Amino acid sequence: MAVAIGIRVRYFARLREQAGVENEALQVTVGSTLADVYDATRASHPALEPDRASVRVALNQEFVDWATKVSDGDEIAFVPPVSGGFTDAL
Amino acid sequence: MRYDVTTGPIDAREMEAAVAHPGAGAICTFTGIVRDNSRGQSVTHLDYEAYAEMAVPQMRKIGDEIKQRWPGARVAMAHRTGHLEVGETSVVVCVSAPHREEAIAACKWGIDTLKDSVPIWKKEHAADGSYWIEGDAAKPVASP
Repeated sequence: MAVAIGIRVRYFARLREQAGVENEALQVTVGSTLADVYDATRASHPALEPDRASVRVALNQEFVDWATKVSDGDEIAFVPPVSGGFTDAL
Repeated sequence: MRYDVTTGPIDAREMEAAVAHPGAGAICTFTGIVRDNSRGQSVTHLDYEAYAEMAVPQMRKIGDEIKQRWPGARVAMAHRTGHLEVGETSVVVCVSAPHREEAIAACKWGIDTLKDSVPIWKKEHAADGSYWIEGDAAKPVASP
């Protein structure tokens, strides 16, 4: 039984400064959601933004919601609001 | 159609030439410039950071949506990243269309949507410190 999958996590702008890294490879358990991944990164980077509601997440360069599950080889990006604020205009 | 995230200067005239064609009776260009003040403080310079692999496809989506909403429109967009001084151009959105109403409306929608949805961040270096600008919030930089 496969117990772990490999993903790459990228951080941008304020979140990059809080994490102290631009990107990192992580192993997570099969069935993990993006919310689980964020919680795991907060455990290893305690300075990371505690209010997940103020963070947006992109999976393979598309904005998605936190309940989305990750797959092996995925690129995940945690991003703060942009200067215009971020809406779901598109 | 041209969509760029670039560390070099943006040439708005060249972008206008790229969207010009004989059926376009109007070209509307929005140019964003680094201002010398913000939130009542003087600004010395800015740094822009992009998630370029996502920002360019997001710009393309905006351009495709403009072409759907305003038939006949052609679009070019460019955003600069890195260190920018006061007076430098940070972003250009350029739309050509058969008539001025469409060109102006599409250009306004384009820059508004770009500012709201394209993953590019602004760090403002002001007299009272450095801040990430996130919507209406200015978040102080812990270690500039």
